[in-house]
Amino acid sequence: MPEETERIVVSGMGLITALGKGCTAHLAALKLQKSGLRHPKILQTIHAAEFMLGEVQLDDAYMMSFLGIPTEKKGYSRTTLISLYGMADLLDSVDLSWLQKQEKLAFINANTVGGMSTVENLYMEMISDRIDEETDQWIDTVDCAESTEFVARFFGLKPAMATISTACSSSANSIIVGARMLQHGLADVVVAGGGDALSRFTLNGFHSLKNVDREACKPFDQNRNGLNLGEGAGYVLLERESTARARGANILAILSGYSNHNDAYHPTAPSPDGSGAVRTMLGALEHAGLPPESIHYINAHGTATLNNDHAEGLAIQQLWDGNPPAFSSTKPFTGHTLAAAGVVEAILSIVAMNEGMIPPNLNWTTKMEELEVAPSTLPKEQNIDHVMSNSFGFGGNNVSLIFSKA
Amino acid sequence: MKQPLYIKAAVAISPQESFEDSKFLKPIITSNNGKLFAIDAAYQQYISPVAIRRMSRIMKMTISCAMEALKRATVATPDAIITGTGRGGVTDMEHFVKDMIRLEEGAMNPTAFIQSTYNSPNGWIAMQSKCTGYNQTYVHRGSSFELALQDAQMLAAETKNPINILVGCFDELTEDYYHIRRKRGYWKNPAVASDQLYKHPELKGTIAGEGTTFFVLSNQKEGTFCEISNLKIVYRATAEIIANALQELLSEENLRVEDIDIALVGENGDSTQALLYEGVSATLEGVPTLRFKHLCGEFDTASGFATWYAAYLLAEEKSPALRRRNLVLINHYILGSASLIFLKKTSFLEATF
Repeated sequence: MPEETERIVVSGMGLITALGKGCTAHLAALKLQKSGLRHPKILQTIHAAEFMLGEVQLDDAYMMSFLGIPTEKKGYSRTTLISLYGMADLLDSVDLSWLQKQEKLAFINANTVGGMSTVENLYMEMISDRIDEETDQWIDTVDCAESTEFVARFFGLKPAMATISTACSSSANSIIVGARMLQHGLADVVVAGGGDALSRFTLNGFHSLKNVDREACKPFDQNRNGLNLGEGAGYVLLERESTARARGANILAILSGYSNHNDAYHPTAPSPDGSGAVRTMLGALEHAGLPPESIHYINAHGTATLNNDHAEGLAIQQLWDGNPPAFSSTKPFTGHTLAAAGVVEAILSIVAMNEGMIPPNLNWTTKMEELEVAPSTLPKEQNIDHVMSNSFGFGGNNVSLIFSKA
Repeated sequence: MKQPLYIKAAVAISPQESFEDSKFLKPIITSNNGKLFAIDAAYQQYISPVAIRRMSRIMKMTISCAMEALKRATVATPDAIITGTGRGGVTDMEHFVKDMIRLEEGAMNPTAFIQSTYNSPNGWIAMQSKCTGYNQTYVHRGSSFELALQDAQMLAAETKNPINILVGCFDELTEDYYHIRRKRGYWKNPAVASDQLYKHPELKGTIAGEGTTFFVLSNQKEGTFCEISNLKIVYRATAEIIANALQELLSEENLRVEDIDIALVGENGDSTQALLYEGVSATLEGVPTLRFKHLCGEFDTASGFATWYAAYLLAEEKSPALRRRNLVLINHYILGSASLIFLKKTSFLEATF
């Protein structure tokens, strides 16, 4: 690595969530306080009437026709379709032919359950002795790399590739790995992000952990009762600052710091005193060379589970000595999009920074007993120079990212 | 990427007796049914009785292998933990899917769900070794282990301080997995004996395997005998691209072909996939070449086992007179990726791992 590491910039963003496609739709929803949560209409689950989910409001056939794929084609899992759709949104502002020409392009994707959204419906057929060509076309979608390979192939890209799976921090890790590959000269242009589709597998998984709220989630509220799962995909274009400036790219933000730490505490719960979250946020501040008070907004992980909000809230309170910057969780808008959450929230953080607006923490009414601090609950105009985005996952996989104004 | 990673310890749980180096290949363990299952170790030595009861086999295997690697390196707490897995906890995934279907999404036990999460072993290893440092899990099919290694190379280059990185990989073979992939033509049908793997080019496919491998890697040379010096990851493998990658590697290492003492290649008995090695075979003509997939079977992270085997071969090389110090490992995976890993013996004094 060069002695002086160069700054990494964000020069493109694209996303799809329950709020729709693209940054403009997301900013409008944040301003209007319009949540994307609903009872699922596309996911076929017996729990449909029970749970609110952040479902992308486009069915597979619609996405296929938007992408120009004949709807009778098999082997396109919903995970892949959502990832393609998120990439298509990035390509609204990034020239595809330029991307295709890049000799040192890397595509760092993230995913938690691969094509499970489809596989779970075909599984018994797959393990039967029957050879069914139609079903068997889905076999390769079981693994996490399928959507990565598919997206690259579909758009005619020939990148170095990686797929990351660290639960809820997966795509935040894509951003870190992509940035480091740029610094080491392993890539000149990076597309980093992730995508996950809702599946009965994950819904029942989180339900079995008693972590799912039946109503819209209430992050950092005394009466919070769990998370709402969501689905979506997001991708950012990352470059070294010099290459981006040289080609006259529209620089949207500077990735000024990041940090990856493990809690080393429990398989599914964070360290209750918030020490893991403190370590991670502090690590990102140190990496950025910024004091805590320079952060003007924290997009919290804020899942609205009892454990996360307790630990993360304490950590924010402690690190900022009881006087933190505005913070909020945007998960009541999108649901918890798992592998996509890190990049989706990184993009929302950058959108908020460039707009000069603190996104509201919906559904908050009652301060948590354990906390002296409370989230920002209404959209608020405010200058933001530096923003922190937190992603804290199962397995203790914690990531904090800091973006600064370009 | 050219960046040395010095091997402080290497441990493999594989279908061979690899966990104890002294027993390795004495004799070669074979199977006749197309499946090479890993030989279990004494997992209860590494995991508490309370925790081990609910753990699936791949969790036990992975955690034990990682903890043994740390023990042999005399590193209590590594600075980072990076793993690669193509398929993660397959048994747990199957268990949870089948429960969900059988119980019609009724009351389900979360244990299998938690353990099916790809980063679950990483979390456990971090917890047991009290490692709050960098933690990453790559899940990119046949490149998973290589991506973990590449990340370790970046970490090693990012600091001037001594650093110990625990790098590993894990994949398990299940009956369902074997059955499903048979429909995709992965395996020789009828199955062949593992020691006859390369003798049936008329049958398409290969044999299935599994295993877990862990390394403690450092940027400090002292006390080590061998380094992983260079790594090339190939995504859309053709014979030509692999051959070019080998030339690039040789030039980066400032070596001629005749300087390579051993080539370890991942041919898996499938004659169409063997074509991928045509270019490098021509380049490496005259270089002693060994194959390894008759020992471990084919799986996404077989290159992890092969890297262990490479280090083992260099450790066995006790005589400086023989001067065998340069080993290149060339592997491919069924779904179209390949990799080249270059290992170099750095000391004949420290010959154990």
